[in-house]
Amino acid sequence: MVESIVSSGVAIGCIYALIGITYNVMFSASRVFSFTAGTLGMVGGVLGSLFILRTGMPIALGFVLALAGGALLGVVTEIVAVRPVLKSLDQHLYVLSTLALALIVQQYTAIEWSTEPQPFPRIFDIVRGGFDQQYWLPMLACAVVIVGLELLYRHTLVGHAFLAIAEDNYAARALGLPERSLRVASYALAGVIGALAGFAGGQLLLAFFANAPLLTFYGFVPVALGGMGNNRGAVVAGLILGLFQQSANFLVGGIFASVAVFTVFIIVLLAFPEGLAGASVQRRV
Amino acid sequence: MSMTRRQALKSASAVVLASTVAKPAIAARDPILIGYLPALTGPSSSTGIGINRGVQMAVQEINAAGGIDGRQIELISRDTQSDPTKAVNGAAELTRGQKVNVVFGPINSGEALAVVPMLARINVPQLHPCWVDALADAKKYPLCFRNGPTNQQIGGAANRYVVEVLKRKKVAVISDTTGYGTASVIAYVPMLKTMGAEVVYQGNVDASNPDVKPEMLRMQAAGAEAIMPWSVNAGFLSRLINTRGQMGWDVPIVGQTTLGSGQTKALLDKPEYWAKVYPNNFRPVCYGANGSLPDRTKAFVDRLRIAKIDMNDTLLWWIALGYDTPMLIAEAVKSSGSEPEKIVAYWNKLKGFPGVYGDISFTPDEHNGYPDKQIVMVEANSLKDGAFNLAPGYGAA
Repeated sequence: MVESIVSSGVAIGCIYALIGITYNVMFSASRVFSFTAGTLGMVGGVLGSLFILRTGMPIALGFVLALAGGALLGVVTEIVAVRPVLKSLDQHLYVLSTLALALIVQQYTAIEWSTEPQPFPRIFDIVRGGFDQQYWLPMLACAVVIVGLELLYRHTLVGHAFLAIAEDNYAARALGLPERSLRVASYALAGVIGALAGFAGGQLLLAFFANAPLLTFYGFVPVALGGMGNNRGAVVAGLILGLFQQSANFLVGGIFASVAVFTVFIIVLLAFPEGLAGASVQRRV
Repeated sequence: MSMTRRQALKSASAVVLASTVAKPAIAARDPILIGYLPALTGPSSSTGIGINRGVQMAVQEINAAGGIDGRQIELISRDTQSDPTKAVNGAAELTRGQKVNVVFGPINSGEALAVVPMLARINVPQLHPCWVDALADAKKYPLCFRNGPTNQQIGGAANRYVVEVLKRKKVAVISDTTGYGTASVIAYVPMLKTMGAEVVYQGNVDASNPDVKPEMLRMQAAGAEAIMPWSVNAGFLSRLINTRGQMGWDVPIVGQTTLGSGQTKALLDKPEYWAKVYPNNFRPVCYGANGSLPDRTKAFVDRLRIAKIDMNDTLLWWIALGYDTPMLIAEAVKSSGSEPEKIVAYWNKLKGFPGVYGDISFTPDEHNGYPDKQIVMVEANSLKDGAFNLAPGYGAA
């Protein structure tokens, strides 16, 4: 039982963490919580299945094209749902605009792809075992993203520029940084990470249009628990969420597992409104 | 040229008189309007798409043969998009705007729950195949008839197969968290207990949960000798079947028709995992012990082939149900007329209408028309051209 809780719980937790990072990357660049994060995950799974299973492309090419599709949707999100509402961030219009775009993409997928879950390909042709690729692929993807983002943010000029606009985009613009281009690039990066989450978790979640709201919802929990914009917090909170959810599945089962997860979520947020790893924001008075 | 008030009144009277006199002659040539509410898109559309193939074929056959006493059938469709709100809007438009003679649909229970009470307030006969028990009640909805089985009949057939044919006494009953799933568990558990079975596990599971192993382990630990899942979610059902296979657990899975759908099959890790999975189905559209369909169905399948209607990506009983319904309407109109009360009066006395899908009978007090004896269980892994072999244990028809 413990083995099953750990393998399945960590795998699911890694998918949630990746969606949490997707939220954060978009948030850092624009101060916008884009509810297309889960949709990016769904699109990664659907495009992976479409390219590899339905059109018969080689797995590597299908993988690259699925991530490219995520990047494209990320850029479209920025142009269509974020840029027009940036001037009135305080009115939170982005909630409506990003949710609307997410719904459009979800419904379009349902109509054009299928309303039923579709199979996702086995990535590696190896015999199924206890610790199968469906479990370790999301873990590998999560590790790659964590290391990649650390390298990007700490050791590249572009990464420093991302951090600069995340910290203070007015000051970054004053220094001559191309804020709009960097924001578009951030959304493309978020699209790649979201699509990677869906692709890596495709064997667990299947290629299903309804994964979008599921991932949007459960992917938001690590962000809220880990602190907005805090990627390390999102990873830790995502893993805890996955493990707790799977433990609840074993211990209480059925619909009570979801109830247990959200009870704990609410209790934690009541105790730590900024999230477990979030810093409280000081307000000038 | 000016017209006096008297002349105007005379002209108007003449027009009214002429239209009144001419009406019966025109009415006799008017088409029979069938309002049709399929879900052709949206999450429940796989059923609708299958049924639609049969409906279209029946209407074409009737019209090609000259219609009903010279009157063509006109099918006026409104895609409900699997959405109860759109189904209600479609029903209102069909009955109040298009003034249809009869309504077929909706074809999903969720939509029918919204539409049936609404149509009961309008004087239009309605046929639907939806399974939720409350959707046909001769007293509450006297113009509404069901040409499909009820949930009680479906559950009863599955329960009888588990307890009486497979001789399994310890049963696990599980569903997703939809209204259909939870209602099925609530309805079927007492039925099983009445039959002498012990329900060792019952539960409702979130169908989006990617890992059902905890539930399977609990069922196994409880000593379940058969698993009865009630869900139309192919993802959820395939996860149950895959997990059973990965656990190497040799327990039969008996239940909802979706267990045998192509969507479920596509999601299986290995084809052999589909063995010992027994979904509901209907005897007239199943392969018998000799490997053949009943003669009536065989002839129907031949016509489907000639019409180049695909059966591989759907279920034969969906197409057959779709085909039978316009035929049932045509039979009523031909025998008694197209007025609502005449159609209802005819159906109230219908006895053994020989459909491809089943033999339908109604009485003034019983508007559930599908016979118990034609509801059976089948071998999921025998799917061929949308039809299945009868499950082991059924004798010849």
